[in-house]
This record gives sequence, C-alpha cells and structure tokens, in this order.
Amino acid sequence: MRRSPIVIAGTLAGVVGVLSFHTAPAKLTLGTIGTTSSPVSTTSSPPSTTSSPPSTTSPPTTTPSPTTTKAPSRHSTTTTGATTTTTTRTTTTTVAPTTATTAPATTARSATGPVVNYNFGVLSVTVTVAGTKITKVAIGTLNDGGNFRSQSIDQQAIPQLEQQAMTAQSASIQGVSGASYTSAGFKLSLQDALTSLGFK
Amino acid sequence: MGTVVTFDIYDDGGISPDELLPHLARAVAVLHRADKVLSTWKPDSPMSRLRRGEITLGESPLEVTKVLESCKVAKARSGGWFDPWAMPGGVDPTGYVKGWAAQEALEELVGAEVDGAMVNAAGDIASFGGPTSNDPFRVGIIDPASPTSLACAVELRGALATSGAYERGEHLVNPFTGQHVTRFASASVTGPDLGLSDALATALVVGGDEVMTLVEEIYDYEALAIGHDGEMKWTTLFPFAPGSVPCQ
Repeated sequence: MRRSPIVIAGTLAGVVGVLSFHTAPAKLTLGTIGTTSSPVSTTSSPPSTTSSPPSTTSPPTTTPSPTTTKAPSRHSTTTTGATTTTTTRTTTTTVAPTTATTAPATTARSATGPVVNYNFGVLSVTVTVAGTKITKVAIGTLNDGGNFRSQSIDQQAIPQLEQQAMTAQSASIQGVSGASYTSAGFKLSLQDALTSLGFK
Repeated sequence: MGTVVTFDIYDDGGISPDELLPHLARAVAVLHRADKVLSTWKPDSPMSRLRRGEITLGESPLEVTKVLESCKVAKARSGGWFDPWAMPGGVDPTGYVKGWAAQEALEELVGAEVDGAMVNAAGDIASFGGPTSNDPFRVGIIDPASPTSLACAVELRGALATSGAYERGEHLVNPFTGQHVTRFASASVTGPDLGLSDALATALVVGGDEVMTLVEEIYDYEALAIGHDGEMKWTTLFPFAPGSVPCQ
C-alpha cells in the first residue's frame, strides 16, 4: 500500500510544526492548527510538472490495499506531497503528491509540486528523480514575505526537510535522528554539503 | 528560538484526517505552550523571569516545576553529567525542554488510535507504534562526521535522542569544569521517555565512557556513541535495525 503523506507547516510563535499524515485518504485541514493571522493571499496553483518527458505526476489516488510492504519511494513524498490552502481560516487542503515512480530508470526528471501556503509564507517543492530514486529535492518557490522571523525559521527548516527526504529514502526508514538541526554548525555543514551536491 | 517539529502519523485508514485534526491541534498547542512558558530565549517567559529572580518557583506555572523536577532526576541518573544548574547564567533546562515537550505532544496523539506516530523535534524523536500495526519504526542516526549520511539505523520502540559535538550547543558544557569539551562526536539514547533520553545523550557527549557505564545500568535505556575518530560504542541491548549492526 502506498501511503500518501501530506506535509503542512503550521507555525506560531517560533515553533514550526510540519505534519505529515501517512494514509490513504489525502485530505487534511490546516486552519484549526494555524494561528490567528491568516495570510491574505493564497493561490492554490495546480501541480505543475516542469519537466522533460515522460511526465510522471501521479494523482493522489492511493487506494488502500492490504499489503504492508514499504514503498521505497514513500518518503520522497514527504516533501513533495504538497498542499494548497485557501484564504479562509478553516482552510481546506488538498493534496497533490508529485511522485515519480513509473518512468524508465534512465531519464532524470524533475517536477514541482503545487504552491503551499503555510503560516509564514508560501513555498513549493521541486524534486528531481532518476528512475525511482530521488536525486534532488529543492524549494522551487519561496516567498515568506520578508519577515525576519520567517526567514530565520525557513533557513533552518527548509534544508532540513530537503535533507530528510534525501536521507530517508536511501535506507527505508521513517525518520532521522541527529543533533539539533537548528544549530549554526549543522546548518553550515549541511548547506555546504548540499551546495557541493548542486543543491540550492 | 524557533525549532522544527515534524509529526508523522501512520494508519491503515481506520481514522480520517478530519478525525485526526483535533488531536494534532492539541499536540501542536502543547509545543506552543512549552515554548511560551519554558523558553529561555523569550525574556518574558516564566522560565526567564525565574532565572532573573523576578518570580519564585512557587509563582511559576506548573510546567516549570515539572520540568525542573524531571531535570533533577535526569541529573542523578547521569551521574551529574547532565546538569541544568551548572549552565552559565543560572538554571537552564533548555537541553531538556525540547524532548520533554515532544514527548508531551506525542501523548496527545495516543488517543487517536492510529497505527503509529512520531514526533520529531529537530532530530529528537518520540514515538509509539510503527508504520503498520506489525512493524516498528526504523530511524536513521546521522553520521556526525558527515551529517548528510547515516551512521546506522535503529529499530525504534519509544524515544530516540541524539546529541552531538557537531551541534556545538551551549548545553554541551562539562558541568564539573565549565569547559566545552566533548568526548564523543555524537551520542544517541533510546528509551521510553524522550526527555530522559535527551538528557542522557547530552551527558554521554560530555561525560564519555563513564556515562556509558551508567546508561548500561538503566532499565530500558540503551545508548550508542560515535567517537571523534568514528569508533562506535554501544550498550548491550542497543536496538540496531536488522542489517544495520556495525562491524566489530
């Protein structure tokens, strides 16, 4: 059974909560978790696949099946399973995981998920895939409104999420434990590593 | 100071996301409350005011007392190597609060009756269940020498905390000398409670082999330490994931 996770960032007072819900029905609301200040603008743009053929965007049609094998690419969707929110407080989030699992292994493809509104800004995620392996996860669009606090959190959270997606998929694991990501040392090291790998 | 908390919830479909939301909302509220009350980064938090002597412990919210009591236990368990009272600037439970809050947040998800849930607070993980009702979670431990790769994988039953010299956090202070000297590059501790696991991991990094001996004696807690030279040491029952046991 392929579980289709949802990633939502709910932020308040400096704590970022990223929620991923791994199960078949792909729907979740964010409004109750979020803060009082709901951002004004929220375009929920459709999932756009910016890449070379074959296009591999798969719709969120996970059907529950009794198998319990872990799909190796599942964690890729942790960051690519994107959400869109509407402007109202009780937001609905629909999920359009942009996963690539069916293409020939030789072609490198990249896809960008829909723009996600989280409480401190708007982001979308780009993932590059060769065969069934993620070769790159990156933030395609990021607009946090220039708020200082948002930026400082983004700087911590975004590389971490990219890192998690990359590391997790390589070892069929569900999580990663390490010394706090929020530290300057780790951030620098990770960013250096990502840069050297061609990550933005 | 902000941090990132990830909630991963696994279920075969018995619960709808809509049913899950109230649980998640409460879990997130726990984190925000902990941040508000216990943050030493916020000058007006009760913990900050207590540190400055503006309020007494009796005047502080219950969470402050609870956390400081737990810190006392953790200090004793670690042979004094985890010691919030030895921090520069007065008692500072910051090294404990993150794990404690994540564990408290997890408790809010227990009632959701899902197959499994993980609360990952910037690398420290509280969990119950697994990705399915039959499997435990597998979690990777970051290689301190190369923070984009894994040193090994662990079969998780409960909490897993990792502290590391690559973090260079202020909490990595030798409480006996006040120096920032680390004996391991990183240390991970698994056990039922994330708060204590986190405290023991921090104690291991500054205390070294001496703390390893102590953790070996603590029921249900296991540790893995990675030296600055890459050498790995672990307690007898450390739950390496199958196929992930390092070569001896």
